[in-house]
Amino acid sequence: MTKAYINGTGCISPQNSIDSEWFFDTINPAKGDYFDAIEPSYKEFIAPNLLRRMGRAIKMGVAAGNIAIQQADAKKVDAIITGTGLGCFEDSERFLLALLNNEEQFLTPTSFIQSTHNTVGSQIALLMKCHDYNFTYVHRGFSFESTIQDALMLFEEGKETILVGGIEEHTPNFVILNRRAHKFQEVTLNTPIWKSTTPGVQMSEGTACFILNKTKTDKSLASVDGIQTLYKPKTSADILNKLHSFLKLHSLTLADIDVTLMGFSGDVNFDSKLQELLPSIEKESIAACYKNVCGEYHTASAFAMWTATKIIEKQKLPQVLAISDKTPSQIKHVLIINQYLGINYSFTLLSQC
Amino acid sequence: MSQRVYITGLGMISAIGNNVSESFLSLSQSKTGIGKINHLTTRYKDEFLAGEIKLSNADLVDLVKDNNPALNRNSYIAMLAAKEAVINSGIDTNDGLRTGVISSTTVAGMGKTELYYKELFEKDDHLDVLDTHDCGDSTERIADYLGNVDYVTTISTACSSAANAIMLGCRMIKHGQLDRVVVGGVDALSKFTFNGFNTLMILDREWCKPFDENRKGLNLGEAAAFLVIEGENALNLRKGKALAEVVGYANANDAYHQTASSPEGYGATLAITQALAMSGLAQSQIDYINMHGTGTPNNDLSESMATKAVFGNQVPKFSSTKAFTGHTLAAAASIEAVISVLSLQNSMIFPNLNFTTPIAEMNLIPETQLVNTPLNTILSNSFGFGGNCSSLIFKKA
Repeated sequence: MTKAYINGTGCISPQNSIDSEWFFDTINPAKGDYFDAIEPSYKEFIAPNLLRRMGRAIKMGVAAGNIAIQQADAKKVDAIITGTGLGCFEDSERFLLALLNNEEQFLTPTSFIQSTHNTVGSQIALLMKCHDYNFTYVHRGFSFESTIQDALMLFEEGKETILVGGIEEHTPNFVILNRRAHKFQEVTLNTPIWKSTTPGVQMSEGTACFILNKTKTDKSLASVDGIQTLYKPKTSADILNKLHSFLKLHSLTLADIDVTLMGFSGDVNFDSKLQELLPSIEKESIAACYKNVCGEYHTASAFAMWTATKIIEKQKLPQVLAISDKTPSQIKHVLIINQYLGINYSFTLLSQC
Repeated sequence: MSQRVYITGLGMISAIGNNVSESFLSLSQSKTGIGKINHLTTRYKDEFLAGEIKLSNADLVDLVKDNNPALNRNSYIAMLAAKEAVINSGIDTNDGLRTGVISSTTVAGMGKTELYYKELFEKDDHLDVLDTHDCGDSTERIADYLGNVDYVTTISTACSSAANAIMLGCRMIKHGQLDRVVVGGVDALSKFTFNGFNTLMILDREWCKPFDENRKGLNLGEAAAFLVIEGENALNLRKGKALAEVVGYANANDAYHQTASSPEGYGATLAITQALAMSGLAQSQIDYINMHGTGTPNNDLSESMATKAVFGNQVPKFSSTKAFTGHTLAAAASIEAVISVLSLQNSMIFPNLNFTTPIAEMNLIPETQLVNTPLNTILSNSFGFGGNCSSLIFKKA
């Protein structure tokens, strides 16, 4: 079965993940009930004349993409595939408010031009002069997963090097409105996110990009062996059955999975199936979480994949992510079980290579 | 891996009709759907024309038979067109085979968001628009409306979106991941897109004139169009009937400018060339091209250049059908895929309306009258902001 070798990563998140040395040693708490991404100084990645006009999602995507390309030492890519739930929301909102406030008059096109969801992917293509395959997925908690599914197919179709990324930005207004819609709650790191009994997540944002290679090279950090999405599974037993079949496809069982990263969001309604699943996972594998440090957003699974890559590279599960008391001795396989709103579930399998 | 992929069901709703048979009637009578703006609330409603669906939201609720207040115009029209395609194909999503829904949209729920966004800061009444604003919403509404859907995803690559949805569906079938997929795109009109295109100064105040020397821009339209595509294995299993085969597709990027196409149509040339290579067809074997042909000075010149680059002096018969429907953005490629299948089935080339004078340096003349001629293969192009260029090739089944 075709694998994708991860040859480079770039991650902007509420944590210091932009620093390649950082490995969950210092943790930034949420700003009460939400997280903001910690953005780098963009000057080293983007020319000042371009930077001035770019929205945050574009800047984050271009910078994270650049870091991944540099790490992989990729001279060119054969495809650029981005995933984003809300796209360039800041520019969309700017154009929307301008047209509402001025009754459709005195508008300029810049924010409209940049509001389209494929802006990040196309800006990367423009900067790299990449005329090849270019796709943008915009499906909620499947946005990033779809990029990986696509990349695995493209490898079978003959592509060699692919840039994928999950990109999400929020705006102050978006945070205010979602808070009014009662979608937030304060979850402190003292309250285990996997034991939540109340609704509400910590809304967040972030970007993780990866250079995937069809063949293993001396740059390869880990491999993505497979991915599967589940739309509205009815019960936790359904999820477990599908998980067993997914692992079987890769000649593995749950006992082979050294670390299972689970997408607990802190909202009891969305997390209930994962809460039911947790004992089965802990029985055979070692359970861990990630949304306690990255928060919840459409493409949080991209942060999870970055985390899984680091865990394999460092051969260590950071204490802040641990759910189970056990410590893995050797980390060969990491499984991500993500969920978004209790509707979009996914399995991603990564291995040491 | 190389299972053949067939189109087995069609569904569409746009300015030229609320279903496929109404649309066919408008096309074969050369009757445009573009006219005065009636449903969209905008200060420009008397200044510009648009290709609106001739139904109010209340009418759409009656047709969909679901009065869930969370639904918006984007979802209503997507659900209707997808359901029509499924009924037309005769597939049963309960038969145990793997069914996917791959949709595409550009502004998604914006049409509703823009009505309430400012009010949201003061009252709680319409906070639910936050949940239906995103692109995935209408796709999941389709999946739930059809029932028993195993896979969903959504694509947004501006005006080439639905072409990429069709392409992805074909690839997932060929890779053995799905047995059949409901593929297409949807975009309801919104003040947001209307004003966006207006600030770019690419809207024609009169009927758009694709490929005409004096073209001034596009007319916006709204639409949803979906096709059921099936792998030959699934189709043979149920002894279903194919309407057409998808024999070629390609995706390339112009990488020239965020909104403008390169003057020489480099990305478009790549997409057309690669789609042809995949189909195994020679240039001379393409019987008709359904062009992207938006009517903007930039697109039509660039697309003409690409067409000449690929076909030389032997350019096949071609037309743009945008003067019927308006430019329906994410839905455009699936609208034109449905129209292409109707062309193959009925041996008809639908005309490029409003054309009088060829572009001086190109001298390419589209079909301006309905042409009755046997058609075996059709190339359909779709290009979008961000340099996204996609081409599809359909063959008579």
